[in-house]
Amino acid sequence: MGVRYIVGAMVVNRPHGVLAVDAIRVRRAGWQLLVYAVLLAVAAVMVLPFLWMVSTSLKTLIEALRFPPTWIPEPARWENYLAAWNAAPFGRYFFNSFFIAIATTIGEVTITALAGYAFAKMNFLGKNVLFMLLLGTLMIPGQMLLVPNFITIKRLGWYNTYWALIIPWIASVFSIFLLRQFFRTIPDEFWDSARIDGCSRLRYLAQVVAPLSRPALATVALFNFVGSWNAFLWVLVMTDKVELRTVPVGLRYFMMEMGTDYPLLMAAATMAIVPILILFFFAQRQFIQGIARTGLK
Amino acid sequence: MRIPHEWRRRSFWVETAQAYLFLLPALLVIGVFTFYPFVNAFVLSTQRVSLVKMVDGQRIPFYREPVGMANFQALLRDRDFGRALVQTSVYVGITVPVTLILALALATFLNKGLRLRPFFRLAAFLPYITPVVAISLVWQWIYHTDYGLLNYFLGFLGVRPINWLNDPRWTLPAVIILNVWRYVGYQAIILLAGMQSIDKEYYDAATVDGASGLRAWWHVTVPLLTPQIFFVFIIGLIGSFKVFEEIMILFQGPGPLKSGLTMVYYIFNQGFERFKFGQAAAASVILFAIIFALSLFQLTVTQRRVHYER
Repeated sequence: MGVRYIVGAMVVNRPHGVLAVDAIRVRRAGWQLLVYAVLLAVAAVMVLPFLWMVSTSLKTLIEALRFPPTWIPEPARWENYLAAWNAAPFGRYFFNSFFIAIATTIGEVTITALAGYAFAKMNFLGKNVLFMLLLGTLMIPGQMLLVPNFITIKRLGWYNTYWALIIPWIASVFSIFLLRQFFRTIPDEFWDSARIDGCSRLRYLAQVVAPLSRPALATVALFNFVGSWNAFLWVLVMTDKVELRTVPVGLRYFMMEMGTDYPLLMAAATMAIVPILILFFFAQRQFIQGIARTGLK
Repeated sequence: MRIPHEWRRRSFWVETAQAYLFLLPALLVIGVFTFYPFVNAFVLSTQRVSLVKMVDGQRIPFYREPVGMANFQALLRDRDFGRALVQTSVYVGITVPVTLILALALATFLNKGLRLRPFFRLAAFLPYITPVVAISLVWQWIYHTDYGLLNYFLGFLGVRPINWLNDPRWTLPAVIILNVWRYVGYQAIILLAGMQSIDKEYYDAATVDGASGLRAWWHVTVPLLTPQIFFVFIIGLIGSFKVFEEIMILFQGPGPLKSGLTMVYYIFNQGFERFKFGQAAAASVILFAIIFALSLFQLTVTQRRVHYER
């Protein structure tokens, strides 16, 4: 910063150097003000729909349909949440979503860590061909696979079972790639000395590589959990039983039943979002690092 | 053919066996639920599939018979498919560049106003990480003609209430606005991370050469940011072609007069509402062809034009 400032002053006409520096300073401050104003405005636009959601969820229907709209409900009707919760089997929906998200996350972290390690640190026949093949699948739109996978799921007898919602989602090429990239940064000397001590690869992966790669593993776990929680189309297609609905699918049916009872709908939407919000607050750093890392190849 | 040197070592084969053991679960899942259905989609696109068919007194589920190119011919005749193709292209053609340009501007501002970054990150990620069904439900309420937030704000600008969800002309704009809002913050954060990894020396050099402000941005920031811009662009492009869930929730169907019918909606409709699996598979193949062609095109452009540091 300091260097650039001096350079900037030198570029300006010398006889009025001091004045020019002041002018730059004022212009800088003006720019800064504009920058912050724009950023605040954009942030407001980002957050407003969520505030509107929560605000509506605490109103009576009459209050929600008031025009011009009000922001602060008078009084806040927290009982809307209880009413929404009881209007549909949300307990079941939440159990399903949590169960599926946790199961797929455990499976995904384990399976992709094994695969990522093989690609990062082992030398084997067909490695490069296999890796390119896997990377190639990233170009396949998941929706293209919906019809053939539906037939497979039916054939396996997994239609309307938890298997259909868990097993296909415990290995993703993206996670394998991410972990491989991370594992590659671990020095080979660690393995050399572990091997001399008679350590197996599996134990080395579990006791040395995994602890060293906690940030990457956490990123994979987080992305998987969020992806599983938000999944909609797959669940919609592979099940048609109320007992197997997840939160998003349940929310959709709730919407179809409630029609225009916006306070209850918004209460339900808020409930669907809250677990993700809590997760984000606790793992904000992991989220940001993960997203930044994927963006930075 | 020369035999690679390492093939002679026993340890290489031991390691190969071990590696495939490590890879087995992943390959099994990806093989069954990605590779196999990928190939199967092509096969299905040339077949007529009956949910159940009686053959010689036996109930055969998913009975398949070859029909050649009939499914593709049916697609060509189906005006809905043409509509889906056009509407998806319009949607992608507007959403992707608009989001990218806004994200680039936003990242530039964020780079100057770093103090707001922690707060802004939260605001930017919220729409990106929350369930699309919940988001779309909220926007359905925001788009309400009489009581919605958007028409209320537009009223300040003197705009008459827009019938966002029932007027076919406003269907795509409604989906576009929702998704620009959803992705712009995320893209900006990725671009910002890229901007911050640019060495300050480049800017000092630019200043010495008399280029600062907007010119430095155009001649230093943008070229050095091309890997991230490209990444965001391609992710946005591929993601946008798959638009579906937002539409289903916003309009509880393909929109008024099918004005929100997209490629994926068409596949869903053919496959799981009409159970015409063959035709749905044919449409999937075309969706894949489009995405694949775009990826290839982008890849060749990248190799020539995109600047990679390191």
